[in-house]
Amino acid sequence: MTFLILAALAAGILCGQFFSPELSARISGCSDWVLMLLMLSVGISVGGNREVFRRLRRMDLRVWMAPCGVIAGSLAGGAVCSLLTGFNLRESLGISAGMGWYSLSGVMLTEFYGAEVGAAAFFSNLLREILSFLTIPLAIRFLNPYAAISLAGATSEDTTLPVLIRHTSAEMVVYSVLNGVLTSAAVPVLLRILTKN
Amino acid sequence: MLILAIFAAGILIGFRWFPERWKRFHGAVQLGCTAALVFCMGVMLGSREHFWSELGRLGLDSLLLAVVPMAFSAVLVFFLTRWWEKRRAKRENKEGGA
Repeated sequence: MTFLILAALAAGILCGQFFSPELSARISGCSDWVLMLLMLSVGISVGGNREVFRRLRRMDLRVWMAPCGVIAGSLAGGAVCSLLTGFNLRESLGISAGMGWYSLSGVMLTEFYGAEVGAAAFFSNLLREILSFLTIPLAIRFLNPYAAISLAGATSEDTTLPVLIRHTSAEMVVYSVLNGVLTSAAVPVLLRILTKN
Repeated sequence: MLILAIFAAGILIGFRWFPERWKRFHGAVQLGCTAALVFCMGVMLGSREHFWSELGRLGLDSLLLAVVPMAFSAVLVFFLTRWWEKRRAKRENKEGGA
């Protein structure tokens, strides 16, 4: 999937270089409808985790610590980055609110803030996913498994789950999936709040 | 608000009515929409006059925006879960002593 998304991005950049400004604008104009369809689809994916929502009722407070920590930590980190990068506070918070979900954060922030912020959201959240693969074993060794899950953010339910499975226990896999589902559910909400005028 | 309403409607549909046999088709639709939107984003980026010269600065900013939030998340979750486990151990010791 990552390869397809990167190929779509590369193709888009190349087309943007050669298309006329009018054609580029028309293509960008179609994206509103596609975004609505994507949001419906994402909602269906989140809602489809019926077993996860049933387990939530039976588990203790720790199940909420990772997603709450991921959200608070990511936003805090985003706020700090507004001092280090060329983005203002809201843009920086919006980018960090992606929490690893590079495709959704990239397209939503492009809609509201423009292509530069959208591209930064895309690349930074893609980097978060890639760096998670490398840092999860280190976090398990020097911190704890919950901290390792938090590094992955919203990707802990799918792409980074195999790494977590390899280095942790069956119990932590459940926490990892729950964290991924809850964090993923929070991403569109946070992005919408942060892009509101 | 419309985006959030559509998202909420999707959650409801997914939780209550969405048939399991449509999962594969749904995955393909989601991937297609994502690819289409990323393509549009690429077109917007590529049409910018100084795109290639901006790419270096964009790369460094993106790296910071990946690493710093990750670090904050990991540290915060580490201390939260460590606090919870210490609290639970203290409570178990108290109950064991009583």
